[in-house]
Amino acid sequence: MTSCFHCNEPVVTGDQFTTIINGQAQPMCCPGCQAVSQAIIDAGLTSYYQFRSEPGQRQSALVPEQLSHYSAYDLPEVQQDFVHKQGDIDTTSLSIDGITCAACAWLIEHKLKPVNGVTNVLVNSTTQRAMVSWDNHIIKLSEILQLISQIGYQAAPYQVDEQEKQSKADSRKFLLRLGLAGFATMQVMMFALALYTGYFTDLDVEFRDYFRWVSLIFAAPVVLYSAQPFYFSALRSLLSGKLNMDVSVSIAIGGAFIASCVATIQGTGEVYFESVSMFTFFLLLGRYFEQTARQKASVSSSNLHKLIPLTAHLFNDGETTEIAAKRLRIGDIILVKPGEVIAADAIIVSGKSSINEAMLTGEQMPIIKQVNDTVYAGTINVEQPLQLNVIALGQDQLVAEIIRLQEFASNNKPAIALIADRLARYFSATILSIALLTYIVWSFISPDDAFWVTLSVLVATCPCALALATPTAVTCATAIFTRLGIITRKAGVFEKLTQINHVVFDKTGTLTCGHLSIGDVIVDTHHTKQQVLALAAAIEQGSLHPIAQAFTPYYNNQYLVTDVDHHIGEGISAKIDGQLIKIGKRDFVTTTPLAAAPQNSQVIYLSINNELVAQIELLDQLRDDSKRTVDALAQNNIALSIASGDNSGHVEYLAQKLGIADVHSGLSPQGKLSLINQLQQTKQVAMFGDGINDAPVLAGANLSVAMGSGSAIAKNSADLILLGDHLSRFNDAITVAKQAQHIIHQNLLWAFAYNVIILPLAVTGHVAPYIAAIGMSVSSLIVVSNSLRLLRIKL
Amino acid sequence: MSIIYVLIPIAMLFVLIAVAIFFWAVKSEQFDDLDRQSVSILFDEKEPKSPINKSDLPNKTE
Repeated sequence: MTSCFHCNEPVVTGDQFTTIINGQAQPMCCPGCQAVSQAIIDAGLTSYYQFRSEPGQRQSALVPEQLSHYSAYDLPEVQQDFVHKQGDIDTTSLSIDGITCAACAWLIEHKLKPVNGVTNVLVNSTTQRAMVSWDNHIIKLSEILQLISQIGYQAAPYQVDEQEKQSKADSRKFLLRLGLAGFATMQVMMFALALYTGYFTDLDVEFRDYFRWVSLIFAAPVVLYSAQPFYFSALRSLLSGKLNMDVSVSIAIGGAFIASCVATIQGTGEVYFESVSMFTFFLLLGRYFEQTARQKASVSSSNLHKLIPLTAHLFNDGETTEIAAKRLRIGDIILVKPGEVIAADAIIVSGKSSINEAMLTGEQMPIIKQVNDTVYAGTINVEQPLQLNVIALGQDQLVAEIIRLQEFASNNKPAIALIADRLARYFSATILSIALLTYIVWSFISPDDAFWVTLSVLVATCPCALALATPTAVTCATAIFTRLGIITRKAGVFEKLTQINHVVFDKTGTLTCGHLSIGDVIVDTHHTKQQVLALAAAIEQGSLHPIAQAFTPYYNNQYLVTDVDHHIGEGISAKIDGQLIKIGKRDFVTTTPLAAAPQNSQVIYLSINNELVAQIELLDQLRDDSKRTVDALAQNNIALSIASGDNSGHVEYLAQKLGIADVHSGLSPQGKLSLINQLQQTKQVAMFGDGINDAPVLAGANLSVAMGSGSAIAKNSADLILLGDHLSRFNDAITVAKQAQHIIHQNLLWAFAYNVIILPLAVTGHVAPYIAAIGMSVSSLIVVSNSLRLLRIKL
Repeated sequence: MSIIYVLIPIAMLFVLIAVAIFFWAVKSEQFDDLDRQSVSILFDEKEPKSPINKSDLPNKTE
């Protein structure tokens, strides 16, 4: 089978779509890819195809609605949240979906640069973001977003994660400290080597002192600048009355440096400049790994948190104006068209329509609402325009209630003590008391040596390997997670993953795809399945009802549809070639009696001239890998439950199909949370979810997993995010986490073994500076290379 | 041997320059996108030859 030249997916449509690239017709899988590749060629950016190292993203057909909603980004009150204005030039940072390699960054820059009005574009392919500046008199932001979407990328402003703001500055500072420590350590080591020769051959005192002074100059910036984070952390922990690793680290660095300076000035004793520098370098390396992993996670989660401007059409004296939702006042009358998100909690003043509340309740089918019914912010109007009277804003809305519940749950989340932190506390205490003991004992034996021996104990037992043990393994494991399409948002997930023994799934959008698709189709003898589906698709075209979406793949433009009439909660009627076609509920389409409908699923009927022609089963299908995931989890002795907001029999049906015995349906967000809390009494619970209604329970679970396609609020409270919505990756994640745990234990064991060997030598005064330096670097290297073994893991 | 009194300070000067360049590179964001910079040299800055005339380019927004 040929594969699409743009996205590499198999082409199933024959040679229906092609683009001429460099004089050759290349196959395309869909109109989306064809349009995108044509736009790329037309812009003269053919080199993209030459230099890209990854295939492009598959293009879903461009929906006109999506294009029109960009215009909301031009409203001044929406822009003030993310656009930086300087004179006529506006600047903003956009998160861009679909960047797969460096060629994408090049492509976007070169598409935008020649555009009149765009003054600067800078695309970062690592963070998948673009910094764009434009002249607001010549071009609008919505036009820029549209230009980017023409070549197949979806750009949107994003909400910067609180964590990210901080970690970006931190990361750069860490890199500076690390780099400086690296440069200086190399130099100090070089002179240290010369000094070591003094142990074996004679080195003139003159040169010895000279080398010591040079080492001092190089080591000083390391100790005074690079090592700062350790001092602050040590101070913080001492002030809160605790001991951490940084306390013994700071004492060792500070003590060794001051003692070495004294030795240099007086020309006596030993110098430990190389140990101090190397020590700082290795420790910083560990911290830097931790920091980058953390930053990557916060960047990805910010990118997922797209700023979608909530706007409303304010109705005033027969005229409507589009305004930002935050400018609404209680009592305002707003107009909500089909397909639009309702901007505030409100009461219907006129109109009747069905409302999709899936995100709030998990209930999949839209609910019919009419005059005097309450509708909630964040839900979607499906069928008819509605006029609403705003009754609640901001903190008083139902969504805010759920967010409060989420905050409450996350504050009461069971804490996990990380093994490395626990060890560090005991380790520091032990080392400090041994050092003290050594000093006391030696001051009786030989008061002159007491200080130097104590110093060598502190330097030799430096927790380098210990400090690198966890971060290196976690960095490698995070890299594998990224490769698998899993974003780790919080620290400690690796440890938690290995302890999970109960997994609770949400149903809609988690175990299932979250949208309806066509199941069995029963047709009468005069029609074929294809005919019926094409007819249905033609009629449903233009409807925003979830049922209509199921027919989209079957749409072709062979039928001319007229007189389309939406009957809320009933179905749709329309005319094709003079024939009356109805699709919808049984009583709506025909009066002819019919065999019983299959249970546990939805069935809709299609009639031509009131003559029943077909019954079409609609299913919210299980994800391809749901069964596999559930089976694998069960095999690992992990208990399973379903907690769904859906009240229909569909939940039971799916549970049976998957073999999950413990089923809870019709749960409110509060209900889900108390279910989890109950389970947590005895178990470590992981929760899967995607909707706003799952947010509190995700925040409360020991470990929470959100789907990449889920709502921003759900993703915000999750520890892990599964991009591409592959459930089975969770099993891989557990495997990786177990392996990582294994490696961490090995590393810690080795770090301890090293200390156990070196400690007696140091206490008895047998560790010369060069032995400390060698021991430190060898043990650190062993730990790092052991962690790197993780990258070779086979899944 | 006394030459080291001259050579080592010169070496130190070089290290200082290297550190300064490193600091400048970090501060001018050259380490922010490591995926990109490694291949950016491959992309031709000039408009590549294409079978479509420049006047046909649709990317000018009036």
